Amino acid sequence: MNILLIEDDNIEIMKLQRTVAKLALNHKITEAKNGEQALEILRSVAQIPDIILLDLNMPRMSGIEFLKILKEDDVLKYLPTVILTTSENRVDLLECYKVGIAGYIIKPLKYEDYQDKLSKVLAYWEVNELVKG
Amino acid sequence: MLSKMDSKEVLLLKKALERQKKARQQAEHILEEKSKELYDVTHHLQETNSKLENLLSEKTSELDGVFINIIDPYVVMDLKFNVINMNTSAKEFLGYDHSRESLNLAKIVHPDFIAYTAQSFKSLIEVGTLKNYRAKIFTKDNSVKWILINSSLIYNTERKPIAAQGIVRDITHEMEIKQLLSEQKKQLDIIVENSPLGIVLTDEGKIVKTNATFAHLLGYTEAELKQLHVKDISAPEDTDDSQNLIRKMNNGEVDKFSIIKRYYKKAGGFLLAKTLVSSVKDEKGKVEYQVALIEDITKEREAEERLKTEREKYSSIIANMNLGLIEVDNHDIIQLVNHSFCKMSGFEEEELVGKKASDILKLKDKTIIDAKRDLRMSGESDSYEVEVLNKKGEVLHWLISGAPRYDHTKSVVGSIGIHLDITNQKLLEIQKEKLLKDLEKSNDGLKEYAHIVSHDLKSPLRSISALSSWLLEDYHDKLDENGKFNLQQIQEKIEGMDRLIDGILKYSSITDATLDNSLVDLNEVINEIREIIYVPDHVNIVMMNQLPKIKVDKTKIQQLFQNLLSNAVVNIERQEGLVEISSIENNSHWEFSIKDNGVGIPKEYHEKIFKIFQSIGHDERSTGIGLSIVKKIIDLYQGQIWLESEVGQGTTFHFTIKK
Repeated sequence: MNILLIEDDNIEIMKLQRTVAKLALNHKITEAKNGEQALEILRSVAQIPDIILLDLNMPRMSGIEFLKILKEDDVLKYLPTVILTTSENRVDLLECYKVGIAGYIIKPLKYEDYQDKLSKVLAYWEVNELVKG
Repeated sequence: MLSKMDSKEVLLLKKALERQKKARQQAEHILEEKSKELYDVTHHLQETNSKLENLLSEKTSELDGVFINIIDPYVVMDLKFNVINMNTSAKEFLGYDHSRESLNLAKIVHPDFIAYTAQSFKSLIEVGTLKNYRAKIFTKDNSVKWILINSSLIYNTERKPIAAQGIVRDITHEMEIKQLLSEQKKQLDIIVENSPLGIVLTDEGKIVKTNATFAHLLGYTEAELKQLHVKDISAPEDTDDSQNLIRKMNNGEVDKFSIIKRYYKKAGGFLLAKTLVSSVKDEKGKVEYQVALIEDITKEREAEERLKTEREKYSSIIANMNLGLIEVDNHDIIQLVNHSFCKMSGFEEEELVGKKASDILKLKDKTIIDAKRDLRMSGESDSYEVEVLNKKGEVLHWLISGAPRYDHTKSVVGSIGIHLDITNQKLLEIQKEKLLKDLEKSNDGLKEYAHIVSHDLKSPLRSISALSSWLLEDYHDKLDENGKFNLQQIQEKIEGMDRLIDGILKYSSITDATLDNSLVDLNEVINEIREIIYVPDHVNIVMMNQLPKIKVDKTKIQQLFQNLLSNAVVNIERQEGLVEISSIENNSHWEFSIKDNGVGIPKEYHEKIFKIFQSIGHDERSTGIGLSIVKKIIDLYQGQIWLESEVGQGTTFHFTIKK
């Protein structure tokens, strides 16, 4: 799968890469440090990703702002977007579902738990039929 | 036989004859004398009679001569009521003529007057004259006439009454008038006596006559009043006006006037009466009587006084009340303002009255005046707030209570408004609203802040956790036991810090605004908690009674019970742990108890444990936030929490939740 990871924290990026590498999964991860960068990538590349993993708390453009812009785009709005966040704030959760998301994953404290959760998310999307281009 | 008669016998006979002859002669002589006497007497009688007759006829003709010419009927009758003579007038009046038919006057007297007539006749015989005999009689044509007779007796020479004469007057018409008058008087009397007005007839102040109403008003009898003078029963005229009026009437300048005066009652006290005095003048224009019509207006006056007092009371209230009052007509023209209104608006009364209210009073929302006027026209009252400028241009807030104003025909003629200056309150209210908004904003901000802070704290924790676990994993064979242990210690501290952040987040999110109350079955809540928390095998959680369904926020009540139950379960060191949950209902609150047979809490910590970050347990995992969260939730539901505990025996937490 082509995965677009929108995340400002280097360690978080490392966590996903380590997870994919360790589990020997065949996914291509594209990184974006924030929403603006992500939109640039989405609008420039020929092949758009299969799913987006989106952090909420980011500088400049927050995850929810990015999500709203995404959902206003006639093409990009069909991209399954899974939220990956530490925020247990119910307000955020409700807001995200309202705008439209494909999942809301809370980052666990321990890396083992993270690896466990993410492997399941990726496995789920791998078995899904994706739009593909 | 004769031969046998002797001479003696003849002699005797001769002598007897002689005697008889003499006696006869004597008798004849007496007879002659007597006859002469008789003759003389007869002659004398004849003379007398003829004289009397002459006298009578003379008298008669003399009287005839006198009376024959008078208009009134004249009748002479004997003492048996038989008419001896009557004049032409009498004949015409009675319809009888005594020279043609005998007429007995007793027979034509009306039956009602027979006894009176007999009485009158007796009096006539005794006295000799009879005046003013009045009776009804029948004339020949059978019509009834009222007559009045003055009569006298006629005597003979020996002063013996032999006849009666009388002059008859036909008073039928007079009597009819009299009767009519008496009927009219009776009717007038009825009117006068039944009049609700007192009526008094006075002659120069002296009471001549009153009606029963007036007597009743004052409590006198009419007879008593007749002895009195007007000044005896009424207060002297104290005002110049009334004195003037009376003088004018006495001078003949006015015929009537009306005053209000006091009349004293016999039993004390007085009545106030409207008195209409009219003068009754004789033909020369001199005042003969004064008639006064007296109307008792004591009650009216009292009612008037009461009304006046009430009116004064209300106008005093209106004048002195601290509320501004304004009256406008249907065209919004100011009719009346009170002092307070002038003070409130900063205008003088003269600047307001007669002006259009909406022109002079600058309302922020001008449409309200028309809207309210329409409401008043349909008879509705209401209260509303306005923002208005006073004379100086300062912004004021008024609370106005408006109502329609009606005239006596019940139609709306305008409206009346009571104004309360609520500027200060309004400013406070605005300030309060602003404060509340600020508070809400800062609360929201704080909550937001808590989330952000917790995120910002949690993210590095996650990174540290990941990095340290990668160290342990990647350099597993290069690290000695001590290094591995330290990395594990890092992990544990990170976990503790994560729980603390979670706890703070939870604690900070417990606010009134977040309560989402619904009917919650606590039995279900407890069962769910049993699933969530770790309950060691040797511990039993028992509900001592069916718990109620109460209206609370389900998440918060679960947090509450979960914290208390976790505490109870964790602190049991016995072989058989028992946690008992029970509830009782009282008037205002639900009271719950959670009893355990755990280690117990020393007395000195009983208050401290509810303070945030105060952990007294030996468990290093404890953050000291749990009971603070419990306390905060109970505070939200206006309840209380307290505990009974004995070290080594167990602890019972009691808490209440307001219904």
